Amino acid sequence: MNIWDSLIITPFINVLLFIYNAIGQNFGVAIILFTLVIRLITHPLMVKQIKGAQGMQDLQKNEKWLKTQEKYKGDKEKLAQEQMALYKELGINPFSSCLPTLIQLPIIFGLYQAVIYAMATTPIDLLNLIRHIYPGLLKVESLIPLNNRFLWMDLSQPERLNIPGLEFGIPVMVVVVVLTTYIQGKLIQPANPNPKDQTAAMGSMMNLYMPLFMGYLAYTLASGLALYFVASNLVGIGQYAMLGKVNWANVFPFLKKKDEKAGKGKK
Amino acid sequence: MNKRKKTLIFTVILAALLLTSCSSGLSGSSWPGISTNGDTFYVANMAHVYAIRATDGSQIWRFPEKAARVMYFAAPVLVDNQLITGDYQKILHSLNPATGAENWTFEANGPWIASPLVVNDTIIAPNGDGTLYALDLNGNLKWKFTAKRALWSQPVGNSDTVFQASMDKTIYAVDMATGSLKWSKDLGGAVIYSPTLSDDGMLYVTTLARELIALSTDDGEIQWRRKFEESLWSQPVIHEDNLFFGDLSGKAYSVSRMDGTDIWTQALNEPVTGKPTVTEDSVVFATENGTLVALSFTGDRLWSKTIEGKLYNGPVQFNDKLLIGIALGESPLKLVTTAGQDVWTFIPPK
Repeated sequence: MNIWDSLIITPFINVLLFIYNAIGQNFGVAIILFTLVIRLITHPLMVKQIKGAQGMQDLQKNEKWLKTQEKYKGDKEKLAQEQMALYKELGINPFSSCLPTLIQLPIIFGLYQAVIYAMATTPIDLLNLIRHIYPGLLKVESLIPLNNRFLWMDLSQPERLNIPGLEFGIPVMVVVVVLTTYIQGKLIQPANPNPKDQTAAMGSMMNLYMPLFMGYLAYTLASGLALYFVASNLVGIGQYAMLGKVNWANVFPFLKKKDEKAGKGKK
Repeated sequence: MNKRKKTLIFTVILAALLLTSCSSGLSGSSWPGISTNGDTFYVANMAHVYAIRATDGSQIWRFPEKAARVMYFAAPVLVDNQLITGDYQKILHSLNPATGAENWTFEANGPWIASPLVVNDTIIAPNGDGTLYALDLNGNLKWKFTAKRALWSQPVGNSDTVFQASMDKTIYAVDMATGSLKWSKDLGGAVIYSPTLSDDGMLYVTTLARELIALSTDDGEIQWRRKFEESLWSQPVIHEDNLFFGDLSGKAYSVSRMDGTDIWTQALNEPVTGKPTVTEDSVVFATENGTLVALSFTGDRLWSKTIEGKLYNGPVQFNDKLLIGIALGESPLKLVTTAGQDVWTFIPPK
């Protein structure tokens, strides 16, 4: 077993299976709770990341920053020096938004891989899974086979909802994954992005491609992963909402109009 | 295209690669399944089923000719000039053994992980959807029997009864003619490998609860059961009054068929997997690390041979030779003599 397995995958698998066992062997609920637990543990990192990103966004509007950009636009080296000086002066760490993301990445990949390992659908997958189980914590004989059924899904297979009379199955989870990914992306976008802001433009593009990409994964991979994507998206929305960083008007335009009316009314 | 767009596209592609590489896994999810009619070997491995000349290991045909996103691992079964093979999707195929042309297909709801059993004119095929399907030789459903969980092991049986072990920790005795349940027995642990059926009406089966259990085929009554310290990932093989098998700690066992007591043990020091093979004068164990170890019937080490790749099942005996199915190696198939010397190695053409 390598370091990645020992430090990330194996503990994650055991936590996931411990939850599964504790809640009466429902793998669907275990995936949802496991996602929630991991997201809660990494919540402080997320807060740091959001604060860092907010600080950088605010900086873009700072008068001194704008003047520096204008003044040294022809001298990249000098511009970099001045930017660093400004960061220091305003107490901003330019890496404070990406460092927490970097720390979260292995956790997210670990979580993803743990779900895949646990859904062992073939003999060798199962042998590998058994080797990851801490015998002091969990008993293989009572754990295996895992109950992969959740609602209408077999979590180890790509999901299709078969309706009597229809010759093909409907990929309901694909639709839910695409929608929740899109909504999450939209909700965390600034309310009135500056059209000239390249970061905002990139965010918009990402918000278009990412749901399609996640939908493709949900269509082709085991539905346990689709469930994880949905749980992750919903928990993510909840986290941003708790931090007051959700722009509901991006998804519900009537809220925007309401706000505008309220604003006019106040005037 | 500006730099940011390129970065974004690169990031999405990288994420796709990372996520899909984490999830595929099928390439290493099983081991080659082998069968033979004497002149030809049939090997199900990864994206193809191969027909290979026994004389020199050259390929006669492969099915499908072009690889698709479908995997084949369950050993094909020959019957009435048909080769029956299931894939890891949902399709059971009947092929012409001479040409590889498809005769008929049968679709289930889960993957075909285990080989079917053919008794007289009935194909008994266990599926990952938990159903045991009985088909006639044209692929028409005769009856089906549903267990609670997936069926990963080949059934055993005779003209009256089929015995099917399941991942639901139960062994079922099913009427061969009607598919009705005769008896079932809770074994206390999921079963990966097939039970072994003796001529005197006993079933020997290992479970994930680290037990070796002997049951009567008449009523499923447990005659004896023995718990082991290490996991058993092995199917016992019978030789006279002994059972041979191994455990994942690397120990090979010979135990009495009467009560499961040790006759001898031998440390092979590598995880012992699959069903050992009994030859004229030895029992050959396969280890996960790729070693074949031949022991005498009294437990003395005769020879060993290390092969590149992993072995999850014992070799298939063919006259005075052994055919080895290799997982995760350069070659999926190797023919050696019963003394362990190489005869030929099959490398699939690209």
